[in-house]
Amino acid sequence: MKISEIGIGRLLRISSFLVIVGLLLEIVSLLWFHPLSFVLFAFLAASLIGLGILVYLASLLFVAPPSAVNRE
Amino acid sequence: MIAVLICQIVLSIVLAAVFLIRPSVTHAVGWKIVAFIGLCVLPALCIAGGMNTHIQRSEQTRFCISCHVMVPYGQSLYVDDPSHIPAQHFQNHRVPVDMACYSCHADYGIYGPLKDKLQGLKRIYLQYVSTPPDPASIRIAGGFKNAQCLHCHLGARSFEENAVHAALLDSLKTEQTSCLTSGCHDTAHDIANLSHLKLWRPAP
Repeated sequence: MKISEIGIGRLLRISSFLVIVGLLLEIVSLLWFHPLSFVLFAFLAASLIGLGILVYLASLLFVAPPSAVNRE
Repeated sequence: MIAVLICQIVLSIVLAAVFLIRPSVTHAVGWKIVAFIGLCVLPALCIAGGMNTHIQRSEQTRFCISCHVMVPYGQSLYVDDPSHIPAQHFQNHRVPVDMACYSCHADYGIYGPLKDKLQGLKRIYLQYVSTPPDPASIRIAGGFKNAQCLHCHLGARSFEENAVHAALLDSLKTEQTSCLTSGCHDTAHDIANLSHLKLWRPAP
């Protein structure tokens, strides 16, 4: 399946979901004073947020905007 | 500082939640800009802020001794004997008390912070995945460098006017003579004998 076939709405939902989960994990890592909190931040939270940003940018680059007829 | 970062993260979560619930709002030009801020700019700033906070936190003494194997090293800072170099520096505030470990063990080179982080990750791996080392057997890879001492002491009047230091200055700079292992300042963290040593108790 090509990215352009997925639809901008779905990509935005995926991006938002990844960003929200990543940010929630970042809050946990900031409130948890433990050596593993850095691992949680660097390997999980930052990766999920970064992936969410990439999905959002991909939605801008590869998905054509919906026509005016299809707008809600 | 953390409070401001958390407020920024919460704002970012609220914005992202709007696009999770109703992605169709981005059809309007104004909301496209909001989406760019909420799903790209703010999260990127949150990553940068989080990384900065975690790096600053990892420089704190209490962060270093939060690892089980480092607890005796933290206790050795309270040894009541001025010949113990780390204890002397810590108790007399010759290093910032809340950054005592980092002040002497940081690599002050250009890639130092990155090397320190990789070392830290290696120790986390040893602690949680592999076999944690015995605290008394821990050694610094490559030995303790004079550069760590000279980072603060070089140029200090009390250091350079000392006749022994002045005579050895070049060999100290080139690491030919070690500050710690050449017999001058050879008592660092004496973990093996910690239980026999008298500890200083600061006034509450």
